[in-house]
Amino acid sequence: MKKIEAIIKPFKLDEVKNALNKIGVQGMTVTEVKGFGRQKGHTEVYRGAEYKIDFLPKVKIELITTDEIVPQVIETIERAAKTGKIGDGKIFLSPIEEVVRIRTGERGRDAI
Amino acid sequence: MQFDFGITPKGLIDTKNLMAQAVSTHSSPREFLRQHSDMVDGLVRKAFQKAQSQISTPSVCLIAVGGYGRSELALYSDVDLLLLYSSSQKDKLPPLIEKALYPLWDLGLEVNCSSRSINECLKMAASDLHIKTSLIDGRYLDGEYEFFRNLYRLFIKKALHRKVRRFAEALAKDLHLRHQKYEDPVYALEPNLKEGEGGLRDFQIGRWLIRAKYKTDRWDSILFPDHSRMLEKSLQFLWAVRNQLHLLSERKQDDLTFEWQEKIGPTLGFPHGTEGVEQMMRQYHLSTQRISNFVEDILDRALREPSPLKKTFFFLGRRKIDENFGIAYGELHLLDPITFKRDPTQMMTLFEHCQTYQVKMDFRMEEAAIEALPFVDHCFRNSKKVNQTFLSILRKGERVETLLKKMHELGFLSRYIPEFSEVEGKVHYDLYHVHPVDSHSILAVEELERLREGFYQKEYPLLTSLIREIAKPEILFLTTLLHDIGKGMEGNHSLVGAEICRHIGNRMGLSAEERELIGFLVSHHLLMVETALRRDFHDEQVILRFANEVKNLNQLKMLYLLTFADIKAVGPEAWTSWKNTLFMELFLKTSHFFEKGVVAGPFLRGDETIQKLQEFLSPEIISEYADHLPDRYLSCYSVEEIAHHIEMARSIEKQFLLVEWGTEKETRAKVTICTKDLYGLFSKVTGTMFLNRLNILEAQIHTWGNGLALDTFWVEDATKDIDRRLRQFKKDLGEILARKVSLKDFIFKRKESNGIKQKVIPRVSGEVKINNQDSDFYTIVEVTGEDRLGILYEMTEALTDYGCDIHFARISTLGNRIVDIFYIQDEWGEKMVERQKIEHLKQALLRRFPTGEGIIS
Repeated sequence: MKKIEAIIKPFKLDEVKNALNKIGVQGMTVTEVKGFGRQKGHTEVYRGAEYKIDFLPKVKIELITTDEIVPQVIETIERAAKTGKIGDGKIFLSPIEEVVRIRTGERGRDAI
Repeated sequence: MQFDFGITPKGLIDTKNLMAQAVSTHSSPREFLRQHSDMVDGLVRKAFQKAQSQISTPSVCLIAVGGYGRSELALYSDVDLLLLYSSSQKDKLPPLIEKALYPLWDLGLEVNCSSRSINECLKMAASDLHIKTSLIDGRYLDGEYEFFRNLYRLFIKKALHRKVRRFAEALAKDLHLRHQKYEDPVYALEPNLKEGEGGLRDFQIGRWLIRAKYKTDRWDSILFPDHSRMLEKSLQFLWAVRNQLHLLSERKQDDLTFEWQEKIGPTLGFPHGTEGVEQMMRQYHLSTQRISNFVEDILDRALREPSPLKKTFFFLGRRKIDENFGIAYGELHLLDPITFKRDPTQMMTLFEHCQTYQVKMDFRMEEAAIEALPFVDHCFRNSKKVNQTFLSILRKGERVETLLKKMHELGFLSRYIPEFSEVEGKVHYDLYHVHPVDSHSILAVEELERLREGFYQKEYPLLTSLIREIAKPEILFLTTLLHDIGKGMEGNHSLVGAEICRHIGNRMGLSAEERELIGFLVSHHLLMVETALRRDFHDEQVILRFANEVKNLNQLKMLYLLTFADIKAVGPEAWTSWKNTLFMELFLKTSHFFEKGVVAGPFLRGDETIQKLQEFLSPEIISEYADHLPDRYLSCYSVEEIAHHIEMARSIEKQFLLVEWGTEKETRAKVTICTKDLYGLFSKVTGTMFLNRLNILEAQIHTWGNGLALDTFWVEDATKDIDRRLRQFKKDLGEILARKVSLKDFIFKRKESNGIKQKVIPRVSGEVKINNQDSDFYTIVEVTGEDRLGILYEMTEALTDYGCDIHFARISTLGNRIVDIFYIQDEWGEKMVERQKIEHLKQALLRRFPTGEGIIS
């Protein structure tokens, strides 16, 4: 089992969600987050005064999948979230030791 | 609140798999879907009844909708339910739904349930297309039957049979939007069975529309029997593939990716390996093509039907154009329905009229044409009148692509040119060829048309002016349509194709000269690619040899245009600006040769170049360097460039490495590297470039007599970050050459960080060709194989290890296939001729490919 975390541009969320749905991914957790990478932040001018915008709003998607479909999930997110411009985001992959579904007590693959 | 179905989730999956195998899914895929759906019916009813028995229940009715409603439930598809209730009892619903659905979810079924009253259903059906279409396929499952009957009585009267035209418009829009999403060439190679063009959803659109417009569920009743049979076969095929896809992947998977193409082929009786995949995907393309034609036809009938008012005043907008055809409201129609049977040649006239009057044909006309297809026979194909008309359509050149597409769609093209049917739906299992051969050929014609219309005026002005000046455009268009026709046959497709084309030309009544021209173009349609992308033009001989084959300027122009159309039609990224530059250079050099009798370009003799250098440099400097400059070096650069290189060389005394570059269009740069030559320098440079994600397109490698290396590289970075990458490259190369760090360590680190299983893509087998004929001074090594990180570095390393000196390299990438050309000499500065040595070198290169195997020729 693997956890895939993707930080993407907020307006791409629907597209990514639909694309994942199409390949049979059933559940995910979505969080609104803020951060910056190479995109840094930028300065906006409002009525003559400069405001520094440090952290940019992003969306984080987390999902747990079985190992077999990891490449397809990553490719799907990559394809759907890409604009080709700076700030498209990143995808992280990490191993998961155990999953428990609280209501039924199922563990492992069955609980995903 | 555990619920006992007498089956566990695991057990359910096992049962499904057993069922799938028992009905042998591919022989009767539809039957399997029905059985599966019946089984799920049982579970759903059981859950529903049990829930009803546990709580005081309102009177409700349970209905299956969508694909499940049609009893076409694929293994892992959603089970869509609708719960109808009488509006007074709304609050009692949630506990009922909860009790009924939880156990089904726990069983692993993807159940979706919406609950609505009859009025809500009708209201929502009027505003939401998807709710309306899912209701069309509703099926009673359990509960109050009276509710079901009432809903459908009202739904059919108030929603389905009303405003059919608006329904058709909405469906057409939905179809169009969905296809747009799947327009990306990626989806042509790895299509989505359900939502892609010609997929299962498209078929449903046609079916729903038939239900609305013709008030029948027998979609086949409004088609010709032949057509409905073929359509049914196509559907069965798509279902068979989809069943296997769900069965093997154990999830709701509708993308037919490479991995599954390879796995499913054999389960449906296709051979293992590439050949089987190609056969299966051909059948896929033919099937989706039929479904596309079907849905287009049905949409056409619903959308183009004139309004009653127009029908009444039909005679007003009507105009007769000859004794057989008339035009009304921008559409061509037949005056007498049996015209085509009386005189089949009128079918070609039909297309000519469409072109001349810029009109479409009405759907009755299309039907008449389809019905008359059997009359397109030997006689028809040999008719002088027909062939003249066809050629004149091509000559006029307007909307040719649209007409060819229509001919193809109606099945007329493959009756008129039966040889064309061999390439219909034919695919290559690789990443480069996106379209099947038939679509590719028609797209190539479209590219020519765009060129002629001036669509590419700004980007490709030379090609645009060339297509306007060629004498016989119809021959070019015909050749472009037929250039890959040999692909349906065994053997070298260019040569076989040329033979077929001569034969077709003969039948069409072309002159001997025209037939020879087509034969030449088809048999040589890869020559320009092979020369421009794989040879060094700085070698005069390359141009002479190419000119010799092409023979004259007219053939050169035609070949250049054909090459453009052919590559451009492969996919949106195939004709890169880099290729454009190379082809243009080859064309210009060769045409100059035809016109002036000499090869143009920087082919000054060595001493002339030295003479000219005096304009730039002092005599002392020239005399210091003149003897060191090899002839090949002098022929590769302009005098200005050479003068600049000498200045670089003079400053190298202080610094041991100089790297300069000029960028072009943000993505491409010409990099000049000047340093003291050392063993394996080229391989170190390519390795460092690889580390910095610079893609090498071409390399010129020169060593001066005084031991100085002067190399120029054309590199590319698609992410438009080339300056930053080159700066880093310069720094890294400095450290590597100064032995501060080891390249091998760098590359090893770069490779090991890869925890993701690689996606399955078509394999490319390695191939090495050694050519000693095409150059007087160099052995040309041509390596083809599967692209992967750092492959070029490894190739150059292998060549260096083998004592080869690399002088020129040109690299092209076609999907995941690389073609690398190296001009090499052995350690004594000679060509490599010894058989055994060549054999060893080939083996050494092939070993660098992942599979370690390949074809040797």
